[in-house]
Amino acid sequence: MEKAKDREMNQINSNIFSIVFFFIVVGVSGQTMFTDVTQDAGIEHVFLVYEGTFGGGATVFDVNNDGFEDIFITSGMSKDALYINNGDGTFLDIYDRSGLDISKNYVTQGAVSADVNRDGHRDLFITTINTTDGSQKIPRAKNLLFLNNGDSTFRDATEAFGLQDLNSFSTGPSFGDFNADGYPDLYIGNYFQNFEGKLGIIKDATIVSANQTAKGYLLINREGKRFENVYEEYNLDHKGFGFGGVFTDFDNDGDQDLLVNQDFGYKAVPNLLYENQYPKNRFEDVGKEKEMDLKINAMGSAVGDYDNDGDMDYYVTNIKFNQFMVNQGPDGVFVDRSKELGTYSLAISWGANFADFDLDGDLDLYVSNGDLNPNCVPMGNFYFENNQGVFTDKGRMTKSNDYGVGRGSVVFDYDNDGDLDILVVNQKPIYEYPVESTTKLLRNDTPKGNYLKVVLNGISAEKNGIGSRVTVVSGGNRMIREIDGGGSSHISQNSTIAHFGLGENTKVDSIIVTWTGGKEQLMLNAPINTLVTLVERPDDPDYFVYFLSIGLVGLLTLLLIYFKKRKRV
Amino acid sequence: MGSRHVSWFIDIVVIFILISGCSTDNSRVSETEVVLKWADMTNHITRYTPSNSPTFASRAYAYIALTMYESVVHGFPDHNSMAGQLNGLDSLPKPDLKQDYNWVLSMNAAQSRIIKSIYQQTSDENKLKIDSLEQVIFEHFSDTLSQDLVDRSINYGERVANAIFEWSKTDGGHRGYLKNFDKNMVHPNFPGSWKPPLYAQSFSHYPLHPHWGENRTFVKANREIPEPYMIPYDTVPGSPYYNQFMEVYTKEQTLTRKEKEAAIWWGDDPDVTFTPPGHSYYIATLVVGEKNPDLIMASEAFAKTAMAVADAFIKCWEWKYHFFSERANTYIPKFIDAEWESFWPDPPFPAFPSGHAIQAASAATVLENTFGEQFVFTDRAHEGRERDEVRDTDFVVRTFDTFWAFAQETADSRFYGGIHTPQDNEVGLEMGKTIANNVIALEWKKQKTAK
Repeated sequence: MEKAKDREMNQINSNIFSIVFFFIVVGVSGQTMFTDVTQDAGIEHVFLVYEGTFGGGATVFDVNNDGFEDIFITSGMSKDALYINNGDGTFLDIYDRSGLDISKNYVTQGAVSADVNRDGHRDLFITTINTTDGSQKIPRAKNLLFLNNGDSTFRDATEAFGLQDLNSFSTGPSFGDFNADGYPDLYIGNYFQNFEGKLGIIKDATIVSANQTAKGYLLINREGKRFENVYEEYNLDHKGFGFGGVFTDFDNDGDQDLLVNQDFGYKAVPNLLYENQYPKNRFEDVGKEKEMDLKINAMGSAVGDYDNDGDMDYYVTNIKFNQFMVNQGPDGVFVDRSKELGTYSLAISWGANFADFDLDGDLDLYVSNGDLNPNCVPMGNFYFENNQGVFTDKGRMTKSNDYGVGRGSVVFDYDNDGDLDILVVNQKPIYEYPVESTTKLLRNDTPKGNYLKVVLNGISAEKNGIGSRVTVVSGGNRMIREIDGGGSSHISQNSTIAHFGLGENTKVDSIIVTWTGGKEQLMLNAPINTLVTLVERPDDPDYFVYFLSIGLVGLLTLLLIYFKKRKRV
Repeated sequence: MGSRHVSWFIDIVVIFILISGCSTDNSRVSETEVVLKWADMTNHITRYTPSNSPTFASRAYAYIALTMYESVVHGFPDHNSMAGQLNGLDSLPKPDLKQDYNWVLSMNAAQSRIIKSIYQQTSDENKLKIDSLEQVIFEHFSDTLSQDLVDRSINYGERVANAIFEWSKTDGGHRGYLKNFDKNMVHPNFPGSWKPPLYAQSFSHYPLHPHWGENRTFVKANREIPEPYMIPYDTVPGSPYYNQFMEVYTKEQTLTRKEKEAAIWWGDDPDVTFTPPGHSYYIATLVVGEKNPDLIMASEAFAKTAMAVADAFIKCWEWKYHFFSERANTYIPKFIDAEWESFWPDPPFPAFPSGHAIQAASAATVLENTFGEQFVFTDRAHEGRERDEVRDTDFVVRTFDTFWAFAQETADSRFYGGIHTPQDNEVGLEMGKTIANNVIALEWKKQKTAK
């Protein structure tokens, strides 16, 4: 009941805010520009495909807790990279001495990170599709979990967490906390049929059935000690050519729902939207009724409230026709507004990121494009600038239209200057290619606008706030961000630091955090142009339990006295 | 319509045979019905074996149907074996004609053996289904016969199946499902060349069975057919090549409900159906069921149909990779309309000529030669399938007056689907006829020589 009331209030508030918003002058002077700083930053990376098409991605996380975000990038058939941010605009690849080197034996795909065991250090999860030694008759492999030792090294915890028998062709991983216990759980998209344990003698029948659609994995984190696949238990029952999913609260009820992206949705199983029934241990697929059962080649998705109306919208990438799915609220369905919003440009798109690149108070959209490889026609990435709810592709103008064979893209503020930079993972083209195709770091050189960055520190919620939501109210503008647990973009994970452009506003009225599970926390009059860390307020002591305990102790004492007296008699 | 429905259907069929098997009245199941049961089983296995393709399926049908024919042909003195007539098939086991055989039992054993061999990649569950069909037919036809006769008949059928399977191994298509896509092959790249589809039926971006055209044809004469003429590449509006695609584009703007229904009906996607060759085999079951020919005529009809279709696929693939031509989905967005996408997704192989057209024409040519041009029939192959939501179209059963009408609609349906130009279809139909006539021209019947 109370929740419903809250929701109603939120609705009213957001309506008021959108009216107010209408009168605000937005935009900062000057043009957003990106500079390709890949080489200067010391990044030298390209993703090598196994047979074509698939991979790769990147995850942004602060490996050594020095306040500068680092980045792990998968490399497919070649050595992955762990770039430590030196804090001076350069990176150093410490992969060789990081303890991650067994990942060399696997064809890696996507990557996400979260503090799996809640020890204060972000851990790393990598999906794979095969081993690199060519020994597998059917390309499958286990995924890899590495725990962060806290000294910029990792240890392989795949087996310790019970993941070694899940032989899969896994694409996109996503961390979330669907049971709101503070331990980050995982959803993993699988493309071809999974196998449990080692494959014995491989008959022709096994080989021909291997290219069938696959179930995903829903891995619940058992108190930072083990992962357990609860796919069926939680009522997930789909198969598909899965490209992963993203945990997101589409219905504003404080728990994490799951958007699942599937390739070939027009012929195999389409996209799904699973509504979390928390506190019940159950998801319900509402894809059809919310019209999110997109029957397309869904490669990835960007999550964001582009119109600041208080609910999350989704931009789903595809071959040729990307879909901009606008949330119509609790009683409405999602509607594809790609054409009218100006994001209807044709390419083969993979990664997509909503971010306020020009710091004007609304979310712009970056889209990473690339041909299927081996087919290799160059196609530039899109940079859709949001101007009062209408987007214009300014890729060429802002020099962000990289022509590499793009896949996953991530945004983070690597130089801590207050705006969001972009890293795009590019594949090495199998055939001849007219331009360079290597991973690119694009520095955002927008003239200074006001901003705010918010870091969450969960106490009973997930450590970095994965699964939680931050709302910033400034100048009548109400902006929401979900902390990205990964699976957004394409098989990648953006920074977990919530980033807000404030335009010309010089004041933040309030920051509201909705922690996973629905608990809210308010901070008033936060400073701007800085990073604010918000620590979760501990739960109120439960007075009922408190008084009950006192009562019980008292009763026991009385009984003890009574029996002692009886004994004496 | 899931696999459950089909297995339920088969269970019913099996129960029906069981019941009639228990009665002493053998006439309740005719020999022709046994032929049809095996044809249905072949369709079922084709449908429910993963990683199947029209190419591999066409080959499987041909060997299975030829085995059917060869396992009974010596029981019919006016008919010839194909041994010595087909490409590289010099001999096959012969029965001891001084002894008696039960030809149904021979065929029954041979069908079971050859299906399990050619489809060795099918599931154990499917193999069990094959065994149970063999068992019920065996029980039905063997109970009044001597053990010797039974053993001899079964043994002969198995030997024929084994010999044909051995011969099949050298044609270039053996276990072809393991090499659907050659990932090391570099394909040509030129103006008008095939590009991997963006709106695709298959997850593979490599073209299917690039070497299939090199496979051994069943009939030698089919190897020799020269490649047909294809209109040369041109981008100039009004040029013959441009007009081919303009026709596809224009048709797509005005598709009627009936045309859409045809487009999805003949899709016969190997992932969810018995493939286009299966559709032709299915139509053969309709006419055989209706006309009720004897054992040898029924077997001959299947053998001819399936071999004509298999050779049609080999020749078609030879030409597809010779011309390596693009699909409308490549040409139209480039030169006519950037946003255009076909109604039906592209299959993963080059366009010219149409495989659907060539194989349907082959099958229709054989069937009209065998049973006459006129035949009214209702095609229920996809009856009851869930409506196609993506295309907002239902699966509606089709009725035809002639065999050719089915071939023509099959070809047209690819044009409606936006994945074939008129010339792909016209040439496909034409060549399909030629290929089938070479199959018909084999000496199936003994020449009556005047004494």
